[in-house]
Amino acid sequence: MKKDVIFTVPSYFRDDMDIMGYRFGKGEKSCAVLGALRGNEIQQLYVCARLVAFLREVERDGGIMPGKSVLVVPTAIGLSMNAGTRLWAPENTDINRCFPGDMDGATTEQIAGALFEKLKAYKYGVQLTSFYQPGAFVPHVRMMETGRQNPELGCEFGLPYVYVRTPRISDQTTLNYCWQLAGTQAYSLYAGKTQEIDEAAADQTLRAIIRFLNGRGIIRSEQTPGQKSTVITNEDIISVTSKHAGLLRRVKHAGAHVRRGEQLAFVINPLDGSVKEMLKTPVTGMLFFIQDGPFVTEHSPVFQVLSK
Amino acid sequence: MPVLKEIAAVASVTMPIGENWTVSRCRYSTEGETKGRLCIATGIHGDERMGQMIVYEVAQKIQREPEHLHGVVDLYPMLNAIGLDVGQRMVPTATMLDMNRVFPGAPDGTALEGICYAVLQDMKGADLVMDIHTSSQITSELYGVRLHERDADVMIPGAYALCPKVIWVLPDKPGNNASLTGALTMEGTKAVVLMVDERRLRVSSVTSEVVDGIFCKMKEMGIWTGETKAAPNQDEIPCMWEEKDICRVTCKHPGIYVPRELNGTFVREGDVLGTIINALDGAAVETVVAPESGLIFTERRYSAVYPGTLIARLCRKERA
Repeated sequence: MKKDVIFTVPSYFRDDMDIMGYRFGKGEKSCAVLGALRGNEIQQLYVCARLVAFLREVERDGGIMPGKSVLVVPTAIGLSMNAGTRLWAPENTDINRCFPGDMDGATTEQIAGALFEKLKAYKYGVQLTSFYQPGAFVPHVRMMETGRQNPELGCEFGLPYVYVRTPRISDQTTLNYCWQLAGTQAYSLYAGKTQEIDEAAADQTLRAIIRFLNGRGIIRSEQTPGQKSTVITNEDIISVTSKHAGLLRRVKHAGAHVRRGEQLAFVINPLDGSVKEMLKTPVTGMLFFIQDGPFVTEHSPVFQVLSK
Repeated sequence: MPVLKEIAAVASVTMPIGENWTVSRCRYSTEGETKGRLCIATGIHGDERMGQMIVYEVAQKIQREPEHLHGVVDLYPMLNAIGLDVGQRMVPTATMLDMNRVFPGAPDGTALEGICYAVLQDMKGADLVMDIHTSSQITSELYGVRLHERDADVMIPGAYALCPKVIWVLPDKPGNNASLTGALTMEGTKAVVLMVDERRLRVSSVTSEVVDGIFCKMKEMGIWTGETKAAPNQDEIPCMWEEKDICRVTCKHPGIYVPRELNGTFVREGDVLGTIINALDGAAVETVVAPESGLIFTERRYSAVYPGTLIARLCRKERA
């Protein structure tokens, strides 16, 4: 294992922030794995830390295939993680909205630029990412529809779903989008929770990455069989939205199978406890996403039901 | 002819505890024939409050001289009302998103997407939309008009009437297209950003030049017949068509930046713009100089900086 400093952000008030990369093997730049790009992506950091520990053992046992190499970057935003802020605090900006970056730009653009310069050289790319809403997903592989996406390859992670999403205008500055356009087969993995460690989801995500690395002939290690993946698109997802604002009391959780008309959650008046609304699923399917914040506003998307 | 004043809710979302987030519009209009419709929006970023004073001054002038209004003026001063209340740039709900990156929104999307969609629909079809932004607390901006590359050819001739100090054509980038003015431009509605200095200690010195520019533009549009400032000579206002017209000055070291406060002045190559200090060492770690000559139109204020932090933007063009 080689430890590289990918980029350093000198700081006036605090210690300098080094973005560390952990390299395994030599030769072709086969696969890069990126963890936290936001200060609250604790689960993403945790999965990467465990992946580094795992690959260290694989390398020791001669399991990195000749001529192949893997790069793991656990976090690009340690300074904000220490301070407990989601965005890059000095500029209040989201690094995952700054790609492909600019080495002559502001600090976040430089961070994105330095990372991208390293990452785009890899054949395969895996980003452990979080959703912009607080909540939990069924672990899945996601990619944007750029015309260069390869969902069939995404099935090699062995997760139950590979989600091909139509990008919005604002998505065009994300890593996944730019990574694909630069020629890397890029995948985003949603590893359950974000701000706290979810051991079961972390295990599942770690196993998926190991399966992919084995499947692509990059490492040789023990692995567990994956599931047969189903490729899904926006059209397979039905959003269940609250009509009222209040406290959210969930009845169902991510991954649950639900039948049409089944109760999912209650929206409660936060002052008198009366039920303002009962959320029901309009279709039979599986709860792909649940919002897990305590409050909902009017028109909040609370659940995503996968009807496929 | 009397001026009609009507306040209406353009969009509203119920918050969890006894509150609605409402985007309101105040419309000033005249009965009968209208010469056009102008929309003025501000407050999309909660830490930018100078727009409140500008919109107030526009409303005051219309109310003082109602006989001069010959069209519709729609004022939307509080787009991100909750952010403005707490002084936070982003929308302070659980998602913490930048409202100016969510346009055009979606009618069946999240609460924020729904609000953005409703705002856009309400403004669509206006003859001109102005979105007033102000510099953050850590930068100083010269009054400028920023417009989008997509329709710059059409928009620039009319931008001079706003009497800005500079005109800047924003490149056609994804982030810009998800802004209010970017999305409106893509929908075929003319829209510009007015960039104003957030200078809370001398408010009127900033607002008066912007308000004068707005009424000058209204006169050009035919919806205002009162006395206004004379439209400037186009040759006097530098117009930055491309990125190469702008010189970005950044710093190399972290520390506290102490500016010389030169915004709005021409500097020569090698002129000192400011100093970066380190209090612990008791040392000046960097003297930031102008790499070339130009007009400073963005200047960093006294604040903490990192390597690469933007210290100043210089306009390389002295004339249009």
